Amino acid sequence: MTPFLSRHRAIVLAYLGMLVLLFLTSFFSPGFLSVNHLRTMAVLAAFVGIVALGQTFVIIGGGIDLSVPWVLNCAAILMTLVANGQDQPLIYAVPLILAAGAAVGAINGAGIALFGVPPIIMTLAVNVILQGGILVYTGGTPPATAPALIQFLAVGRVGPVPVVALLWLTLALAASLLLSKTPFGRRLYAVGTSAVVAEFSGVPIVQTTMLAYTLSGFTAALAGMLLTGFTAQAYLGMGDPYLFTSIAAVAIGGASILGGSGHYVGTIAGAFVLTILTGLLPALRLSNGALLIVYGVVILITVSLASEAFSDLAAAIRGALRRAEPQKGET
Amino acid sequence: MALLEVSAVNKRFGGITALHNAAFRAEAGEVHALIGENGAGKSTFIQILAGAVRPDAGTIQFKGAPFTAQNPSAAQAAGISAVFQELSLIPDLTIEQNIWFRREALTPFGTVRAGGMRRETLALFDRYGFPIARPDREVRRLTLADRQLVEIAKALARDPTVLILDEATSALAPRETEWLLALAANLASEGKLVIYISHRLQEVRHVAKRITVFRNGTTVAEHDTDAVSEDEIIAEMLGRRLERLYPERKATATRRVALRVRGLSAGQRLAHVDIDLREGEVLGVGGLQGHGQRELFQALFGIGRARGTVELWGKPLTGHGPRQRLSGGRDGIALVPEDRRGQGLLLSKSVAENLTLSVIPRFSRRGFLSGSRERALVDDMIRFLRIKARTPDQLAGTLSGGNQQKVIFGKMLLTEARVLLLYDPTRGVDVGTKGEIFVLMRELAAKGYAILFYSSDLPELVHVADRVAVMRNGSIAAVLAGDAISEEGILKAAMSASERSG
Amino acid sequence: MTEVGWAKRSVPTRRDQPAVPRRVSRLRFAHSTFLVDRAPFLVACLMLAVLVAIYGALRDGVFTLEELNLDAAASMALLLAATGQTIVLLRGGIDLSIGGMISLGTVIAATEFGDSWTTALPWGIAIPVIGLLVGMTNGLLISLLRLQPFLVTLATWSILSGAALLILPTDGGTLPQGWMAFGNASLVGLSTSVWILLVLFLFWLWFSKTRLGVTIRATGSNEKSAFLSGVSITFVNVATYGLSGFFAALAALYLTTQTGSGSPTIGKDYILPSVAAAVIGGISLFGGRGGLAGTVIGAFILTIIGNLVFVLSVSSYWQPIVSGVILLVAVLASSLAERSARRSVT
Repeated sequence: MTPFLSRHRAIVLAYLGMLVLLFLTSFFSPGFLSVNHLRTMAVLAAFVGIVALGQTFVIIGGGIDLSVPWVLNCAAILMTLVANGQDQPLIYAVPLILAAGAAVGAINGAGIALFGVPPIIMTLAVNVILQGGILVYTGGTPPATAPALIQFLAVGRVGPVPVVALLWLTLALAASLLLSKTPFGRRLYAVGTSAVVAEFSGVPIVQTTMLAYTLSGFTAALAGMLLTGFTAQAYLGMGDPYLFTSIAAVAIGGASILGGSGHYVGTIAGAFVLTILTGLLPALRLSNGALLIVYGVVILITVSLASEAFSDLAAAIRGALRRAEPQKGET
Repeated sequence: MALLEVSAVNKRFGGITALHNAAFRAEAGEVHALIGENGAGKSTFIQILAGAVRPDAGTIQFKGAPFTAQNPSAAQAAGISAVFQELSLIPDLTIEQNIWFRREALTPFGTVRAGGMRRETLALFDRYGFPIARPDREVRRLTLADRQLVEIAKALARDPTVLILDEATSALAPRETEWLLALAANLASEGKLVIYISHRLQEVRHVAKRITVFRNGTTVAEHDTDAVSEDEIIAEMLGRRLERLYPERKATATRRVALRVRGLSAGQRLAHVDIDLREGEVLGVGGLQGHGQRELFQALFGIGRARGTVELWGKPLTGHGPRQRLSGGRDGIALVPEDRRGQGLLLSKSVAENLTLSVIPRFSRRGFLSGSRERALVDDMIRFLRIKARTPDQLAGTLSGGNQQKVIFGKMLLTEARVLLLYDPTRGVDVGTKGEIFVLMRELAAKGYAILFYSSDLPELVHVADRVAVMRNGSIAAVLAGDAISEEGILKAAMSASERSG
Repeated sequence: MTEVGWAKRSVPTRRDQPAVPRRVSRLRFAHSTFLVDRAPFLVACLMLAVLVAIYGALRDGVFTLEELNLDAAASMALLLAATGQTIVLLRGGIDLSIGGMISLGTVIAATEFGDSWTTALPWGIAIPVIGLLVGMTNGLLISLLRLQPFLVTLATWSILSGAALLILPTDGGTLPQGWMAFGNASLVGLSTSVWILLVLFLFWLWFSKTRLGVTIRATGSNEKSAFLSGVSITFVNVATYGLSGFFAALAALYLTTQTGSGSPTIGKDYILPSVAAAVIGGISLFGGRGGLAGTVIGAFILTIIGNLVFVLSVSSYWQPIVSGVILLVAVLASSLAERSARRSVT
């Protein structure tokens, strides 16, 4: 294995898994590899991928964002309420809501980095508070439909390519650059590897952490608004599936849940893996329940493959194989 | 027949050979000292005896039978108890819960017999004269010295045949040290074997009957204590004469004061420190462990809340935190911290990434990192410090202790801060690298750096520092200069009059 | 790089390292360590007292046995789930799979209990055993594969939820009358749930003093020290998560006496509240500190909040808001108290 491959083993495995999965599903479902279907999958994967973008940053930084579901949902609901089906309000609604999502993220980051609240608790509390908050505000009734512009963004196309996919691509490039080529990215990896060492080395932990969570709030809000376009309206609970899938996409993509390693490139593969699996549902005539089981097993398998236990096992097997061939190359 | 006989033991960790051909032989009823530099392999050897680590090769005979402990419990069951430098106490449990952990007397319901446990604990303390007050205190509230005592009690509670003490006195005050030495002698007279690891040769000569010397992972000599001189032991430890370890001291200090500290205090450990660190000076900080040295360094580096005034190059030092300290360019303060692996390095990241961690803005242009600029900085520093790594991309966790320390040095040097705080920079570092570090310190001093360094190693302070500030109870007890700098002088200043008895 | 096995074990916390140097000063009254040590728990008791006082002011009959019965019944499912979670938190881990286990438990009960004791009893025993075995599997996966508890239990949550959906795709099923009556019975004026509460206390009084209980707490406090002291981390994990699964199954069983049906999705509403109840009650997320008393207080706090919201005739959606805020307050209090004493052993 070349050094490049072994260093990025987890990501390579994720893409391999994705390709294997594609290959397998095309057996069960002949129409699977059609352009139409691939397009749909790209759109579905984009939603997961966008939410998982923020989650990737947060997890690399050593945290976790459990507030994603209701940031997403609040953004969706607020947008439809404010726009009320019209396109014009979007000019100010969209930036405002994106900023609001970012602000929620910043609050998360502040609680975690400044006050030492564990990420699980902080983001969980914020999630639950947002849930209550938006329900109090709307009285629990499902709000209006999404404006046409948003619907276009979600399901429309530029030529053969879905708009959402282009958006995702742009964001993916930006995210990858941020992680690999900017001071923020370098600091994020450091903080995720060891907050103590980062502190002793003068890395601005509070700033870095808050930025990561801010990004996560931003992408959750963005995903919420786009998703509304996809389903043509906002509904309660639309964000719930994205908690699991965003975390799973990051984990399948090879990032360590403890932080300090991984990359958005891997998350992309993870998002596709999850989307393909969901597509298997009608193909294999799997019920919802069976799909959940498959999800769980896939996560276990992928993280086991990336874990140290596996690499130890692989090394042991390699060692045993080497010892079994003593005459190779010897006179 | 010897109680414990070890031969031809090898152990590698990844690419590093910790032990090769290590041998050891000890009888029952003796205190046997194990001496060697940091990195000589003593700790690994002890870990093998204690069952925490398994050797790659070699034989160990204990009480006439092969000794093959797979884990610490097995070793303890066989009768070997170790008190490591790295304590194995559970912070949230009380003293007595820790001592009897996993061996508590149980009621018929399976619950721990509290009354019985208390009685046994007090009996244990009584039997060995432990200076511990309250067995129901949670360990996390204890000082380092008290924790050490609890760890010893825990080992003794097993009534072992062999008791291993690894630098047990490093955290203890003189009175407690005396108690420990007497304890070792008593155990030996009861027929047990005490393996005593220490840097303090006076202690060793006082209590040990035989001495084994390790160097570079192997056994180099075995003596009866009475039959060998201290110089001979040191020579065997170092493999060369003492003088060559330490570079020549040139007077490089100027009159300019880099760091003027007045009335610095923090928390409960740092009481009131007044000190002047001059440009071009290597100022040593000495004193018994736990008397405020760590807090002093942390306070200067901006960690924790401190009161008092500090002037840096004549200007008042304000602001908090390592980030502020490190971002001053030449007017910054840098720290090489105590815990190399836990505070100083990102073990899973490359040497390059570690080196540049504190100066990321230095190689970013218009918001992006410049790979070539970074590489230039990295290559320069690796060359300057002679860091031994296969490539700059090698993971920091796979380097030897000495090279890891060099990387941390490099990281701090890149910040260009001229005031360097070094906390025990040569601990756990091999002899060769130690020498390099001392040379580096003098070189930097000659260039106008101001260096404050703490060492738990008295000879180091004596031979490397221009002056030595001895701390006691959180403040400076004395500042020794010139001929007044000696191991004896430092120790005297470190202990109050009442402690100096005996 | 070290040989010692602990270094590679999965430790689930966000803080695997010694405390980040902070600029917060230590608490002044460090002498009375009794108070400081128990500060989070005491804060929780205070919060509960205040909430109950407010509740009592707004409604009559709050300080009666009947109210206790009602509140105990309302809290019991959460409390049972939170008991298991408490043990896991003490170990320094987290168990997300109880969401799936609770759903699965209710679903199996609703489909298999039938309408008589002869059909119900074997299953009534089997369900907790299933919970135990599933939990033990969690522990094994965590130890042998050296994976983070968060991820492993996230995956098994999914698997168990899927299984629940396969058995019962929508809410439904039936439970025998006797079973429902049992869950809502009353003995000496105390409801079944109050009796269960008493049993839980007795259980904890016993368990926390057993060697296993002490070892679990010790391993959560400092896994490395525990290993050096000869603890089998695998065994501890298996026992810890096994107990969590067991209690999740008990929670499911109790739930069915209140709802009278099975639901394949009900479990997910218990995961995070179970953590919240424990954390509010003073259990440290880092492991090693806290006890069931705190969890009970935490669970009751969450229930009383619900009662208050109802009595104040505000939208019930205020309940999660208040719960969230209280959770944050509790954690901040706990965080401050924790910083007053060092945690690592050097």
